Amino acid sequence: MACRSHWEVVPEARLDLDSDEPTFFDRHEWETIEAATARIIPTDHDPGAREAKVVRFIDRYLSSVDHVYASADGAGFLRLDGIMADAWAGHLDRMRQVYRDGVRTLDELAGDHHGQPFAALSDEQQDAVLERLSGADRPVPITSALAGGHAYGASLQSDLGLDFFPALCLHTRQGFYGDPVYGGNHEQVGWQVIGFPGPPSLAATQTCTYSVYHLLVADRDWADLVPHVREQALAKDPA
Amino acid sequence: MQVSKPDPVDVVVVGVGASGGTAAKVLSEAGLKVVGLERGPFMNHREQFSGDELKYLNRGYIAPNHDLNPRTYRNSADEEAELYPFSPCPQLVGGGTIHWAGWFPRPLPCDFQMRSLHGDVEGASLADWPIGYDDLEPYFTKVEWEFGCSGLEGANKFEAPRSQGFPTPPLAPTAFAVRFYDACARMGLNAFPLPMALVTEPHKGRDTHNHTGFWNQYGDPTTMKSTTLTSFVPEALATGNFELRPDCYVREVTLGPDGKANGVIYVDGDGNEVHQEAGVVILCQGAIETARLLLLSQSDRFPEGLANSSGLVGRNATFHEFVFSVGLFDKETEPLYGYSGAFVSGATFEFYETDESRGHIGGGVVAASQTAQPINWMLPGRPAWGSALKDADRDYFNHAMVLGLCLQDLPQHDNRVDLDPTVRDAWGLPVARITHKPHANDLAMSRWQVEKNAEILREAGATATLPVNLERCTGNTCHQHGTARMGTDPSQSVVDAWCAAHDVDNLYVLDGSVFPTSTGVNPTLTIMANAWRCSEHIADVHARGGDQTLAATGGSNHGL
Ligand SMILES: Cc1cc2nc3c(=O)[nH]c(=O)nc-3n(C[C@H](O)[C@H](O)[C@H](O)COP(=O)(O)OP(=O)(O)OC[C@H]3O[C@@H](n4cnc5c(N)ncnc54)[C@H](O)[C@@H]3O)c2cc1C
Repeated sequence: MACRSHWEVVPEARLDLDSDEPTFFDRHEWETIEAATARIIPTDHDPGAREAKVVRFIDRYLSSVDHVYASADGAGFLRLDGIMADAWAGHLDRMRQVYRDGVRTLDELAGDHHGQPFAALSDEQQDAVLERLSGADRPVPITSALAGGHAYGASLQSDLGLDFFPALCLHTRQGFYGDPVYGGNHEQVGWQVIGFPGPPSLAATQTCTYSVYHLLVADRDWADLVPHVREQALAKDPA
Repeated sequence: MQVSKPDPVDVVVVGVGASGGTAAKVLSEAGLKVVGLERGPFMNHREQFSGDELKYLNRGYIAPNHDLNPRTYRNSADEEAELYPFSPCPQLVGGGTIHWAGWFPRPLPCDFQMRSLHGDVEGASLADWPIGYDDLEPYFTKVEWEFGCSGLEGANKFEAPRSQGFPTPPLAPTAFAVRFYDACARMGLNAFPLPMALVTEPHKGRDTHNHTGFWNQYGDPTTMKSTTLTSFVPEALATGNFELRPDCYVREVTLGPDGKANGVIYVDGDGNEVHQEAGVVILCQGAIETARLLLLSQSDRFPEGLANSSGLVGRNATFHEFVFSVGLFDKETEPLYGYSGAFVSGATFEFYETDESRGHIGGGVVAASQTAQPINWMLPGRPAWGSALKDADRDYFNHAMVLGLCLQDLPQHDNRVDLDPTVRDAWGLPVARITHKPHANDLAMSRWQVEKNAEILREAGATATLPVNLERCTGNTCHQHGTARMGTDPSQSVVDAWCAAHDVDNLYVLDGSVFPTSTGVNPTLTIMANAWRCSEHIADVHARGGDQTLAATGGSNHGL
């Protein structure tokens, strides 16, 4: 049927995951997307999207259905087939077009307003292009924008139907914070920036040798946390 | 196309998730020959599951693929429905229990009597359940012990009487839960460790060492999380009476000349059509897909869909939107580690029963939960890009917590599931179209509780709070109820108190479709307890040679 219990696994070695060679983008597209991701998660005293190799993550994702799902242990990728592969192929085709057109739009905006391709602009100029592209000023710190309630969408944050800029923002997050097996979050820099003690490998989450148990609070009694428990015990046995 | 016909069996169960797994176990252990048809795969938890956030949360590894199994959504009948992945509950053996968080509280007695308690509420279609808490109590206990859970007896001041405690103690609290407990204690609120469908000790030989924090929305490679894939399904298979057929998509329930259901037609993984005949047909697909299958099963006798003489199939749908406040804490304070534990930790029932001074009726369970893993961690209103985005993640990833409510939405006649007139799935069948507009009471409950949660968070030390209110229903809990409500009057309900269709007495619905109202808690314990209760009844009827009326009189003596 659609999703299978056992897909063939394409071993990581055969996919050459360490390579920095583009598999979908051409050189110019690669440089443009890399520059744009570096404005979405900029480098400061901590690494940003560039160091995390987010562009590589996006390039791999767009390259083929063989990079959609890592195997559970991260030793390779699931080779989808049948209607599931067709569905993903159709989705990736649409996404590829979104990126091709997106790079063109970035360059057009850059050319019209700053006289050069996007990748050649300064950080400030690139931000100005992203403001035009998104139709909004660059975001302000969260603590100064606390007012409104925000609807939280479906439990799945997929890229279904997204336009270029929101897709790029979402994919940049994914490439910064996703498991390194997908080509981004290089050497776990994304996790280090925010203090997430992530697993050394997907395999460690499968065997559960990776654990965050030590972060639980083991030294507080339930009777202390839940006064009702103590009150009941006292009512039963006042001594 | 040639339709093959395997040997008839006693019972066919459609959908092998929470309710289907329960029915399969109870009926096969009672000696009936059961076939379970599941449209998703039969995965091996140890081999296929791990903590891959991108795969599960963003690329929907075990969720319905939106191109193959689309759904549509609209706010009201005068709108055009749009493609929208509404309530994307996973499709595989184990269903929603595979990647759920496992909140496992019992409902309260008031949940079964909303109409008696509140009378006519304008715009709502409140109804009492034909059964009450006492009818389900023995089955809550059976499910809690057989399926496995954790909890602390006596900690929830508002809980109704229980005949037994919990099979295993709660997991130690998370750092964010401790803040919540302490804030509640200072405010005089009763907080308690929420019962969870997980075991902390090797109950029934289970392996309890998944402390990765990759919990809600992930498959568990151990057997710490309670899933039907790793418990009731293997137990059913061990009887030798249960045959599980994964990758089988049921598209019609068939009727015999006597007006009884006589089986189902499905498409198997190779595209073959199969007619499986059975003495009893049980639908366990979740309230959206069960309603859809009934509506797809049209015949001369039931031109509007099977068992739909009341016109209520698909109506009164409720979905429990998850609304919440997020508290942001000073980054210089002790970290909250919002990715640790098993998603939820502390909870309270203080705001569950109606208190009209709040400006709304009803309420529900409130709980402190993870903000979860880095890509998708819950920061509503997160800046989209730039240094504001980077700072927000860096400053608050370890310093935020969520306090949420399972919003008990009121049933409304016009909130419904029906067949989309134009959109079809990859098998050429019309997809489910969801029409849902929140009731004024739902909106009021959301506003009041989200603000109350912010107040608790401030007491817990939050320096800022971010409210997430109900605007429109997104189906973000994957709780589904109401589309084939149970009741005693065949003109006002679809199934009877044993969850047999009024119109077709050997057709049962055992998932959340039968809930007349949505209750204030996560539905699955109640769904499973009810499925167990009704499956015992079905086995009883079978033992008496299929005489429904005889068995029905020997049934429940509460509230019927
Ligand atoms: C992320 C998430 C977290 C959740 N957390 C909780 C929680 O903490 N507590 C709680 O109580 N609930 C929770 N839920 C909800 C819970 O998963 C559901 O209430 C529960 O699974 C419903 O059980 P069910 O038997 O009705 O349906 P399911 O468990 O969804 O099973 C239905 C099965 O039927 C199959 N099916 C559907 N149509 C067909 C067809 N035509 N032919 C063959 N097979 C079919 C599906 O593939 C599926 O496997 C959560 C859900 C999600 C998605």
